[in-house]
Amino acid sequence: MASIWLLQFPSLTFQHRVSSNGTSLLLHHRHCLSQRLNWIPPTPKRTFSMRAINDSMSSEEDNRTQNEVVDTANSTLVVDSKHPLTLFQESITSFPPVGFLMKNFPKNYFAMGLCITIAIMVVALRAYAERKSSQSHPGSVADLVRRGQLRSDRRGISRPLKYDDPFNNPLVKVGKSNSTVEMCGKQYRLAPVTLTEEQQAIHQKRRSRAYQWKRPTVFLKEGDSIPPDVDPDTIRWIPANHPFATTASDIDEDLAQNNVYQQRGVPFRIQAEHDALQRKLEALQKEEKLNNLFIDSRNAKDFQRPFKLNDKSEEPVEQGPINDSRVETKPTKPERVSNSSESNLSSEEMQQP
Amino acid sequence: MFSLQLFSANPNPFLRPKPYPKSKRTHVSSVLQWNRKPELAGETPRVVVITSGKGGVGKTTTTANVGLSLARLGFSVVAIDADVGLRNLDLLLGLESRVNYTVVEVLNGDCRLDQALVRDKRWSNFELLCISKPRSKLPIGFGGKALVWLVDALKAREGGSPDFIIIDCPAGIDAGFITAITPANEAVLVTTPDITSLRDADRVTGLLECDGIRDIKMIVNRVRTDMIKGEDMMSVLDVQEMLGLALLGVIPEDSEVIRSTNRGYPLVLNNPPTLAGLAFEQAAWRLVEQDSMKAVMAEEEPKKRGFFSFFGG
Repeated sequence: MASIWLLQFPSLTFQHRVSSNGTSLLLHHRHCLSQRLNWIPPTPKRTFSMRAINDSMSSEEDNRTQNEVVDTANSTLVVDSKHPLTLFQESITSFPPVGFLMKNFPKNYFAMGLCITIAIMVVALRAYAERKSSQSHPGSVADLVRRGQLRSDRRGISRPLKYDDPFNNPLVKVGKSNSTVEMCGKQYRLAPVTLTEEQQAIHQKRRSRAYQWKRPTVFLKEGDSIPPDVDPDTIRWIPANHPFATTASDIDEDLAQNNVYQQRGVPFRIQAEHDALQRKLEALQKEEKLNNLFIDSRNAKDFQRPFKLNDKSEEPVEQGPINDSRVETKPTKPERVSNSSESNLSSEEMQQP
Repeated sequence: MFSLQLFSANPNPFLRPKPYPKSKRTHVSSVLQWNRKPELAGETPRVVVITSGKGGVGKTTTTANVGLSLARLGFSVVAIDADVGLRNLDLLLGLESRVNYTVVEVLNGDCRLDQALVRDKRWSNFELLCISKPRSKLPIGFGGKALVWLVDALKAREGGSPDFIIIDCPAGIDAGFITAITPANEAVLVTTPDITSLRDADRVTGLLECDGIRDIKMIVNRVRTDMIKGEDMMSVLDVQEMLGLALLGVIPEDSEVIRSTNRGYPLVLNNPPTLAGLAFEQAAWRLVEQDSMKAVMAEEEPKKRGFFSFFGG
C-alpha cells in the first residue's frame, strides 16, 4: 500500500520581514518544527534555486542568498531543534515544485497518479471484502437479526421482520423448480406426508382388533368373589403387596370431592383441626377453673384433709391416688411422688396442653 | 433459519397460504415476531394428555415446552403432573422450590385447589399442579375420579376456565396411565424413531382408542436428519406409516434440552431460539389450530457447484 505522508504545520505565521537594508527575505517560523516532526525525508537529488525578489535587495545579497538556499537543498534535511528558519528552508527545498515537475517530468507525474489511483482502488476493495466477510460470517447474532429471529430494534438496526405465522417464512429459500429448501447452510428436500384417511382407518381397525381393552371399574383383591352381572373385562385384581393400590376404600369420596370443589374459606382438615383444638382448649379451661377452686398454696393442708378420711396419711405417698386420678385424665403426665407441692405441679401440668 | 417443519395448512408447498382474517391484530408476545395469534379451535378447556408408553422419549419435556409455548401465545394453561410416584415436571420448569401443596393435600382438605396451583412468574397464565405420592394406599379407580373432579373444578373456578389443561402421563400402561387419560379429550403421543418406542406407542394408541380418545396426534422426538440421510434411522414418514397417526411436530435432537433441564428453563424460552425450541413452538401452534403437518423435510447432499458457477452459471 502506498503511503502518503503529509507535512502538517499546526500554525504558522509567516513574517515577511524586509530588513532595513532590504538585503534578505526572512521567513520566520514561530513554532518549532522539531516538536512535531521528526522525520528524515529522502535526500533531494536536484538543486533548486530560489529567488526572493526584492526591489530593495542588491545584486550581491541576492546571489549570496541564492547560494545559501542551494547549498541547503543539496544536503539531507534533518529537522531538529535548530534555527527555525533553517528548518523551514530545508523543508521547502526538499519539495520539488509541482509545476516544475509537471513541466519537465510528465512521465513521472503520470506514473505517480497511476500509483495513487491503484492504491486507492486496492484500499477500497479490501475494505469491501472485509465488510462482506464480516457479514457472511456464519452463526453470528447478526444472522439472526437479519433473518428476523431476533428483535433488531434493541440493536438500533432497522425494524424487525414480522410475518403472519411460523409456516411462511420469507427468509427460507424454497426452490421453484424442485421441492428443495435451503436452510442453515444445508439442503433439505420437502417430502409430503402420504398418510391418507383410508390408511388411518385401516390402522384404527388393526389396533382395535389387536388391543381389546376396557377400563377397569371393579377392583378385587385375591380371594374375593366376582360379583354377578359384571363384565369380567372390567375387573382388575389387585395384589395384596401392591405399593400404592388397595381395594379398600377408606376415603370418603364425597368429602374429597367437596374439598376439590372448595374455592373459598379454610380447607376442611385445617378447619377440623382448628375446631378440635378449640374444643380441647375450652375443655382445658373448664378444668382449670375447677382446679382453681381446690388448688391453693395457702390452703394446701386443708386440701389434703378430705383425703385423710379415706384412710390415707399425710405422707406424700398418700397423695398418689389423688395424683393418679388426675393423671388418668391426662395420660401424658409422668409419675411423681405425692406431695403437696407435687400436687400443685400436677395441677400445673394438667393445665399444659 | 426456521425449524424443520414448514408447511402444515397448505398441501402445495409452493403456493402462498391463504391469508388469515386480519381483522384482529392482537399483540403476540414471543421470541419470534408473529403478526397474529393462532386461532383456538375446539371447545375450551381442551384437556390434552401427553403420553408415550415407553419412558424417556420426552413426554415431560414436551409438556413443559408446549405448555409454555401456549402460555406465551396468550392462552391460559394448567399443566398437571400425573406421575404419582416420580414427579419431574416441576424440575423442568424450575418450580420445584415452590411446590408446597399437591392434589393429595387438596383431597385431604389440607388446602384448597387454588393454593395447590403454582403460578409461573415468567408467564402468569401458566400454572402447575402436581399429584404427589399419597401417604396411604388409594383405590386405583379413585385417581381417575379425582382428576375428573380437578378438571371440573378448574372449569368452574372464579378466575375463569383455562384454555388448555395438559396432563403429563407417566410411563407404562398401568394405574398411572389409566388415571391420567381419564379426563382427557385428546392425546399427543410422543415417540422416537426407534422400533421399541414405536411398538409401545402403537399399543398405547390402541388403549387410548379403546378408552374413547379418538383425536390422537404424534410428535416424533429426537430426530437426527443426518442419520436419516445415512439410512441409520427411520425417517419420519416411516414412523407415520407404521403408526398411522397425524403428525403434530418433528423435534430434532438438540443438546440444549439437557442444559435447559439443568437450568430449569424450558427450551422455548431461549433467546436466540434453538431448532428444537422452534419446533416445539410450531407444534404448539398446530395444537391450538388442530392442524397437522402436511410435509416434512429430509436432508440432502448439497449441490456441487461447477467451475462456471462462480460466474453465475
